[in-house]
Amino acid sequence: MVMGATGSKLEKALGDQFPEGERYFGLENFGNTCYCNSVLQALYFCIPFREQLLEYYSNNKNLGDAEENLLTCLADLFTQINSQKKKTGVIAPKRFVQRVKKQNELFRSYMHQDAHEFLNFLLNELVDILEKETNAAKSSENSPPSDKLANGPRQLQANGARKEPIVTWVHKCFQGILTNETRCLRCETVTARDETFFDLSLDIEQNSSITSCLKNFCSTETLNAEDKFFCDKCCSLQEAQKRMKIKKAPYILVIHLKRFKYIEQLGRYKKLSYRVVFPLELKLNNTMDNSDSEYSLFAVVVHVGSGPNHGHYISLVKSHNHWLFFDDENVEMIDESTVQTFFGSSQEYSSNTDHGYILFYESIGGKN
Amino acid sequence: MASSSSSFNAQSPGLKTYFKTPEGRYKLQYEKTHPAGLLHYSHGKAVSQLTIAYLREKPAAQPPATPTTPGSGGGVRSAAARFLGAGNGSRALSFVGGNGVNRGVSGSARIGGSVGVSVGSSGPFASSNYDGKGTYLIFNAGDTLFISDLNSHDKDPIKCIHFSNSNPSCHAFDADAIDGHDLLIGLHSGDVYSVSLRQQLQDVGKKLVGVQHYNKDGAINNSRCTCISWVPEGDGIFVVAHADGNLYVYDKSKDGATDCSFPVVKDQTQFTVSHARSSKSNPIARWHICQGSINSISFSTDGTHLATVGRDGYLRVFDYSKELLICGGKSYYGALLCCAWSPDGKYILTGGEDDLVQVWSMEDWKLVAWGEGHNSWVSGVAFDSYWSVPNSDGTGENVMYRFGSVGQDTQLLLWDLVMDEIVVPLRCYPSGGSPTLSSGSPSAHWDSIVPIGTLQPAPSMRDVPKLSPVVAHRAHVEPLAGLIFTQDSVLTICREGHIKIWVRPIQGDSSQSNASVTALGSDGSIDMLVTTSARSIGSNYKQPPPILLAD
Repeated sequence: MVMGATGSKLEKALGDQFPEGERYFGLENFGNTCYCNSVLQALYFCIPFREQLLEYYSNNKNLGDAEENLLTCLADLFTQINSQKKKTGVIAPKRFVQRVKKQNELFRSYMHQDAHEFLNFLLNELVDILEKETNAAKSSENSPPSDKLANGPRQLQANGARKEPIVTWVHKCFQGILTNETRCLRCETVTARDETFFDLSLDIEQNSSITSCLKNFCSTETLNAEDKFFCDKCCSLQEAQKRMKIKKAPYILVIHLKRFKYIEQLGRYKKLSYRVVFPLELKLNNTMDNSDSEYSLFAVVVHVGSGPNHGHYISLVKSHNHWLFFDDENVEMIDESTVQTFFGSSQEYSSNTDHGYILFYESIGGKN
Repeated sequence: MASSSSSFNAQSPGLKTYFKTPEGRYKLQYEKTHPAGLLHYSHGKAVSQLTIAYLREKPAAQPPATPTTPGSGGGVRSAAARFLGAGNGSRALSFVGGNGVNRGVSGSARIGGSVGVSVGSSGPFASSNYDGKGTYLIFNAGDTLFISDLNSHDKDPIKCIHFSNSNPSCHAFDADAIDGHDLLIGLHSGDVYSVSLRQQLQDVGKKLVGVQHYNKDGAINNSRCTCISWVPEGDGIFVVAHADGNLYVYDKSKDGATDCSFPVVKDQTQFTVSHARSSKSNPIARWHICQGSINSISFSTDGTHLATVGRDGYLRVFDYSKELLICGGKSYYGALLCCAWSPDGKYILTGGEDDLVQVWSMEDWKLVAWGEGHNSWVSGVAFDSYWSVPNSDGTGENVMYRFGSVGQDTQLLLWDLVMDEIVVPLRCYPSGGSPTLSSGSPSAHWDSIVPIGTLQPAPSMRDVPKLSPVVAHRAHVEPLAGLIFTQDSVLTICREGHIKIWVRPIQGDSSQSNASVTALGSDGSIDMLVTTSARSIGSNYKQPPPILLAD
């Protein structure tokens, strides 16, 4: 009944601006599963991801429940939300959460979990499953192509020229490529190594911006003393300069703020409540091609609480130009300016404990 | 002096009480604040703004002799002086100089009043014969508007005005006001008040007195007032910018409580001006400027141009009397938060969520440079109108501008801009990167003539010349909200409403001037411009490469 009331409240708030075909559903909490709920909401409102997942579901629903995995459970859940008759309400992501716990003992306990770790786990799991399906389809390539796996093999064909690695739609959404350039200070040889990423984990500083954290991430660091670089040309440890460049910017840019820091003196993790401002639009200017690709913020996973081992996760989501606040079962509309209240605290001891933790930006480069 | 310095330090551990510039050392003279324990309930939203008010002698003692005709020597001076305030449009300040009151107490150690002014009490100034002459700082925090005496060393405000219905969000002062109402206050609720500053100082209460109330209960517009400004030489006309992209023009000589309505804005992205149908109506006009909030506005010194910046990331420059969009352009990304005019109206500064300070030229309606140096959003920009070119060796034509910026990184940065000769930005290629770059067409940005009313898109990072700050100083522990240059000092205010007054170096004191000038811009080598301006700076310090612009 309470749920119904909140639903109608949100519907009332949106009025005739309620987006056609959109569903805003809270997710039930099964005891400290807010880390999961907050990430699920962010992913649900990541439209390219959602569309692929719904397509995957419709392509695979005929398989019955032959083989349940994290991907099918997630596809199930998103389809369930998407096909609700009501526009708002609450859904219990029971099967999905059970599957997560089955798959990974880390998430089995009722302890407070890290939302970023969960996101990482989930995306990698999905990629594994999709790759396996693609490989399975490939091995049966001589036999007539299977319609049932269209979602996987079709992607393969799109990348037919490149045999390895397999590029799934999860890659297409989230994957970017970093180049790690190391210049030996003796022989001046530059060694470049590419790394793929699904998100960028940034060190943060007090009273800084995401722009500044990204700049630091890409800034040149000198490897010396204990931390020398083994130069293949010199065949020895040498002082070197290292820097990161973004070789390929991802379509969905996920930025993880390293708010949980291991403090050696304390022998434990501490939450950094630093005020780190994030703009609603962002450009990456440290890319190799100087493309200045522009992004728009569409979701924020917020950690609520003062320490790393307890607290709560909520998410802020932008859908059809409205900002929504998802707190497990509860969904509310918020003003865009409210996003600013999740930047963090400019001083250490503050009553404000709601801090932006994972930021989701979508590329809008195509529109310009 | 030493003891006072250390006491400042005790309150802000790790912060220096001075900073060095090429021309000498700026020292923290004193601070202004408000009673503690008042804030934080509206965390993140309540941002303090600062207005400086030069209140002259009582009109009774001195006939209102303010020249109002532009063009007369006095008028120009008055306008120029007023610009100094209006220069920081984001802080909605205005002030009039030229009467010397601001030289007041600087250097003197006299403390104004040994009695600790108790919180909320009206203090020692409430005597009836107090004529109010002096220089005042007006700032808001939470639900209160505070007034401090700039020339007193007392930290506490002399006056606290509480607002029970909504929080004050912006304010402006006009020392040239013909009748008593010289102070404007805009609220979160959209309500606007005009009052007499002197009357507030003379009153002992905690409420505004003698108010004229406009947009009562947000009847015309209930979105937050973001910025308020008197129209220079406007005979009591003022404008109020709102968080919904509208700007209203009011006339203080008209009744504030009239009913009036404006047509619905059809296209949020289009600039439209609607005039009130009735001549009695107040506001007299509505300008719909942009989608989303107008974050700051600023009038040029002479009042001909109005600059606005907003959530959509665009700077817009209007011909105010013609109600015409002249030019504008976009930030690199994100919202723009502040803007300010150069004293001569040739340049506009903007700052915003891309961490950049942008310099726009009004001569060719283009962006001319980006200042890189803040590590967070730029919340305040202002030209230093009192800046004079150091030891110009007679070449004459070198005009140097000094400007300042403050950011949410808690830093105050000072910048120099040299006008010397035409400089085309050097193409830069990422050092160490592959030389086989995608060619990328040479930007048309620098060559084309801009048609009137054009808003330019965001340029590419490599197409814009970069500036590095002359000085970077971590001024507060909290993110900063604004800055003001006065003849004697630079004033900085943080979001929570704490003010620091940094007194300028003593003239002719060059003993410290060549000490460690903070050289900044570690990556400045990439985009730096070749400069031939060394001759324009006839002193012995090493100047970070300034930017050269077409004069």
